[in-house]
Amino acid sequence: MKRFFIAVLVSLFLLPLASVVFAAGGAGPDKSMLKGVLVEINEAEHTAVLQKDGTKELRNLIIGEKVRPEDLRLHKKVLVSLDHDAGENVIKDISIMFMDMTMKKLLSLLTIGLVGGILSGFIGSGGAFVLTPAMMSLGAPGAVAVASNMCHKFPKAMIGTYKRWKYGQVDLKLAATMAVTAIIGVQIGVMIQKYILNQWGNDGSNLYVSTMFVIVLVVVGSYVALDAYKLSKGNKDADAGTPKLALRMQSINLPPMMNFKVAKVRISAWVTIPVGLFTGMLAATIAVGGFIGVPGMIYVIGASAMVASATELGIAFIMGLWGSIQWGLSGLIDIRLAVLLLATSLIGVQLGALGTTYVKDYVIKIVMAATMLIVAVSRGALLPGYLSKFGLVDQLTPATAAFLDGLSFWALITALGVAGFISTGAMVKGMIADRKESKLHIVAEADRA
Amino acid sequence: MATQHNKPKPYLSTVIFGALSISFYVLLFSNETMVTDTFTRGGIYTLFPVGTAFLFSFIHGAFASNLLSVLGIEAKKK
Repeated sequence: MKRFFIAVLVSLFLLPLASVVFAAGGAGPDKSMLKGVLVEINEAEHTAVLQKDGTKELRNLIIGEKVRPEDLRLHKKVLVSLDHDAGENVIKDISIMFMDMTMKKLLSLLTIGLVGGILSGFIGSGGAFVLTPAMMSLGAPGAVAVASNMCHKFPKAMIGTYKRWKYGQVDLKLAATMAVTAIIGVQIGVMIQKYILNQWGNDGSNLYVSTMFVIVLVVVGSYVALDAYKLSKGNKDADAGTPKLALRMQSINLPPMMNFKVAKVRISAWVTIPVGLFTGMLAATIAVGGFIGVPGMIYVIGASAMVASATELGIAFIMGLWGSIQWGLSGLIDIRLAVLLLATSLIGVQLGALGTTYVKDYVIKIVMAATMLIVAVSRGALLPGYLSKFGLVDQLTPATAAFLDGLSFWALITALGVAGFISTGAMVKGMIADRKESKLHIVAEADRA
Repeated sequence: MATQHNKPKPYLSTVIFGALSISFYVLLFSNETMVTDTFTRGGIYTLFPVGTAFLFSFIHGAFASNLLSVLGIEAKKK
């Protein structure tokens, strides 16, 4: 308990400090991106007046050709990206920052929060890949969805880490080492995301997020699936041996060498650096850092799926806090989304965390692979739509667009359902077996007495 | 499910933390416009969303933990 709180306190002091030092590097709103409220719209002359956020400064803007009239709303906080190629003050893209909260949206957020929480507690990560696209489909701009998810992720990860640390599954040293390198990755990731938003607006940001989602999820997901399949075919009771790649990495004797006691690994710091770096980059840009971090720790570093998924929660806390400060400096966090997700995810994450004490190591891999691959289908279905907005593929017919949207939506629901079903099923099965065992134990003791 | 028969269930803590948590949610959503506006000003205002997230995680997290104990859902004992 004491060690855990010291670790949390150190992160709390160091991160804001480091954040200020790094602030010049990436934080702060983009120059070509405006945040404010439209106070006047003249559709006939294609002009609008924007009052910049936090100031009384008014700016006259020209409504670009690609802007849809329904996106222009008076007295609502909006994110505007400008089209410098078309001239000065021409709106390229505009989106409402804070979506109107309806009962349907509220219930959706609570539901995905719960399942996302269970997944996070169970496989160390996994809320984000569902939550970010879900918030985007509910109407949040890409950057706001990533920022709000980040702000919901770190408190959830903190609670999850605490629980799994109590179960003896978190390697705090490995988490700290990975997090330090991952923070540099986060910095790079935030800069890339901002550059893309700046250059290509929300459509560009959406296209980038979706493309990265699909590539990472398909490649890593297939690898984990293959491994989980082999393990499920073999002896289920035996824990998986250390993967070949990890054994080779552990044999590299390049100082400084590090000992990770909980993970039971001795490995060169030079191996953990790239794994941490990529985890951070992906976490900041597309919020699925865990899908590089956990397989990285399993297949490259050589930790068990149990320790890797638990340690990932610790990394997610530190990186999530760092990322939230960065996104907060740009003023892009919709706190309503963050706390609504937390309402159920804080229950889910503790449920998932205690669930791991009832299952075998390979079950974690199965849940991870299944969710990654199904979500890849969901995001992949959206790619043609985003590509057509850039003229890279032909305009989609309304029927095709509707079909792809439906496919994307149902794949996401399927991913949530499958992941929730496998993890909860395995958890309940483990609990029932455990209860039977303790009953037998009590009966045996009574007999002996 | 390893229910702790000897340990009393934390009914009182669940109710207290639950009530606290609901009050914070009501407070935030009844001032929705002011909150979203203040929290997205950037710069030093970053402390608001980050601090709020911490506050909710402690209060609501404690409620959730107690709730699971009351329901008898506990981790496997080694």
